[in-house]
Amino acid sequence: MSKIIGIDLGTTNSCMSVMEGGSAKVIPNAEGSNTTPSIVVPDQNIVGIPAKRQQVVNPKNTVFSIKRLVGRRYDDPDIQKVKDSYPYEIVEGKNGLACVEVEGKVYTPQEISAKILSKMKADAEAFLGEKVTKAIITVPAYFNDSQRTATKEAGQIAGFEVDRIINEPTASSLAYGLDKKKNEKIVVYDLGGGTFDVSILEIGDGVFEVKATNGDTYLGGDDFDQKVINWLLEEFKKENGVDISKDRQAMQRLKDAAEKAKIELSSTMETEINIPFITADSSGPKHLNIKLTRSKLEQLVDELIQRTIPPMENALKDSGLKKEDIDEIVLVGGMTRMPKVTQTVKDFFGKEPNKSINPDEVVALGAGIQGGVLSGDVKDVLLLDVTPLTLGIETLGGVSTPLINRNTTIPTQKSQVFSTAADNQTSVEINVLQGEREMAADNKSLGRFMLDGIAPAPRGLPQIEVTFDIDASGILNVTAKDKATGKEQKITIQGGTGLSKEEVEKMVKESELHADEDKKKKEEVETRNIADGLCYTAEKSLKDAGDKVPEDVKKDIEEKVKSIRDGLQTDSNDVLKQKTQELSSALQKIGEHLYKQSGPESTNSSAENKDGSEDQKKDSEEDKNDPVEGEIVE
Amino acid sequence: MKEDKSMKKSRDSIDMQIKELETKIVSLENNWKRAVADYKNLEKRTAEEKTNYMHFTKSQVIKEFLPFFDNLERLENHTNDEGLKLVIKDLKNTLKNMGVEEVDALGKDFDHNTMEAMELKKGEKNKVLEIYQKGYLLNGNLLRPAKVVVGQE
Repeated sequence: MSKIIGIDLGTTNSCMSVMEGGSAKVIPNAEGSNTTPSIVVPDQNIVGIPAKRQQVVNPKNTVFSIKRLVGRRYDDPDIQKVKDSYPYEIVEGKNGLACVEVEGKVYTPQEISAKILSKMKADAEAFLGEKVTKAIITVPAYFNDSQRTATKEAGQIAGFEVDRIINEPTASSLAYGLDKKKNEKIVVYDLGGGTFDVSILEIGDGVFEVKATNGDTYLGGDDFDQKVINWLLEEFKKENGVDISKDRQAMQRLKDAAEKAKIELSSTMETEINIPFITADSSGPKHLNIKLTRSKLEQLVDELIQRTIPPMENALKDSGLKKEDIDEIVLVGGMTRMPKVTQTVKDFFGKEPNKSINPDEVVALGAGIQGGVLSGDVKDVLLLDVTPLTLGIETLGGVSTPLINRNTTIPTQKSQVFSTAADNQTSVEINVLQGEREMAADNKSLGRFMLDGIAPAPRGLPQIEVTFDIDASGILNVTAKDKATGKEQKITIQGGTGLSKEEVEKMVKESELHADEDKKKKEEVETRNIADGLCYTAEKSLKDAGDKVPEDVKKDIEEKVKSIRDGLQTDSNDVLKQKTQELSSALQKIGEHLYKQSGPESTNSSAENKDGSEDQKKDSEEDKNDPVEGEIVE
Repeated sequence: MKEDKSMKKSRDSIDMQIKELETKIVSLENNWKRAVADYKNLEKRTAEEKTNYMHFTKSQVIKEFLPFFDNLERLENHTNDEGLKLVIKDLKNTLKNMGVEEVDALGKDFDHNTMEAMELKKGEKNKVLEIYQKGYLLNGNLLRPAKVVVGQE
């Protein structure tokens, strides 16, 4: 079955998404952006960014904000109001409907919208590599029947089979998964580029009902930018005595800088607006260099933010609800990235709003999810769970070595090869751990088992493959297998991941809290492990080399090994590191002597290799193919 | 007689169960195929994205640095420093070697694919009269449109 794409057909920008692998993803357009300006030159079929670029040259033929016209009558007071301010011609079409006239040809708003939709369809097909025939299109909750029908027609003209027209606030709620709630009341606060909408929804049994809508059709991000631009103009005039508001080139640079500063101040407290050579007078070039703090910005746009409060009050009144009745708040539109806007909404309802999803894309994502539900994609795939906490085993020195990281989608399987920590060790104990901490003792032990019957061998040689396998229902199977003998042992942990949400959160928080000290502890253990390993290598190398090594070199190494061994438990980390370093350089002398005497020998080079692989392990922990030392038993 | 009836009844219920399971298998198989297909497509796209990624990173970095280049050129208009001229010349060369090319706009017809019109002025119709900000292409793809003033009768 063909995919159903979700389209947010916006007043200023449009965006689309599709359900893939269980989640909705935004489809970028041919130009590589996630949103497409809703601007059309109908007689030349130019849509989106290119249409926007030529708007100044061709204002009479460039149609924008067509959504304000869709499904409305020509004599509608709203149409009469905008009619004279729009550079393109709005005329009365068939049945008294508002239409546009470009180069002598009359286009219905649905035909204009269809051109936007056609471009999106073509871009989606190019992106997905398959034909797309079905779409879900979103409309504002306040759209009446004729506006909805017109939108559907636009989709059909573009070659879509329009499966459903859904409300924008409903789509946003779907994106946040609120359809799974029961009898909840949701407020959607949508402050975009040019319009502000507030909607109150009630959800019951997966069906959304719009209780009330309100808003301001001429309030958005552009007004915020304008406030910043005006302030910059004034400041510049105060400082330099020059008015640059008539200089189109300077104004263009100022506009770009103002928008950039506004965006930056959502994540920083202060920004510097720098426009070198913005203008020049008889005294030479002038530069604009003004600091703007977040609190100054908030002061500048406060009036605009305050204007969003009465619509919220009115919507509440119309819905017959009180602030306390609201269960969820959803933020939509680029301007809701501004901390002050979020704070205002939060203060008004006394509740934290949902804002984790990109507010420019949330409507399209919700529409995509609806498309997924209709094509049967969602129900089954959404069942896929993730492991809430990291799973691993205990290794030498009480370190917790992760095998499956938290938030991995299950079912999943992962293997890693471990080895023994002592010579002739014939059994290993596998301690299965759950948690985010670096040390085994701080994590939860889910179970332990022994793998014995390992053939006696020098430490580090046996290869014990440990496999973690979690099936779709969260049952964990841990298998340890000796690759030499094929002997294996396993444990099954039922519902090993069945912790409550609170427990998981607590464990994750604790690991964040202890991150630094845990890291230190782990480092200490690792230093000790490396020091111990090197002593072993040193002794082995000396033994292998026999009398080919001069007595003084041998003695030096033996002393260094003894010094490390003596201080293994008591020395500080830095001292031990230093000693290890010294031993490592002393060891190189063995090789030097051997090469000098008789050229390379296989036994020696293998010992040196062992040393090298240890270093490698330290450098890149991701290199899971290297044997890692397992825990010693007995 | 009575037994027959109950046997028929149980056969009916088994038949029903079989039908139910068959539909379930069909739907499971469909979903499974779709999941595999999704994955395959994702793999293909990931491979493609990887090749695009280098280009994308390069273009992002160059784009971020273009404003500095703009300002150096603006500075050049205000001073007559030989050293600065050399710096700009070097920078231009480096950009060229990286595949960056200036949008040739001045005196040309306005082209919405590579230019953004900022203003109309009296002049030859649809010709670029002035450049507010230079535009650039990277290996033939638009990095930044040229911001231009276009003529109007």
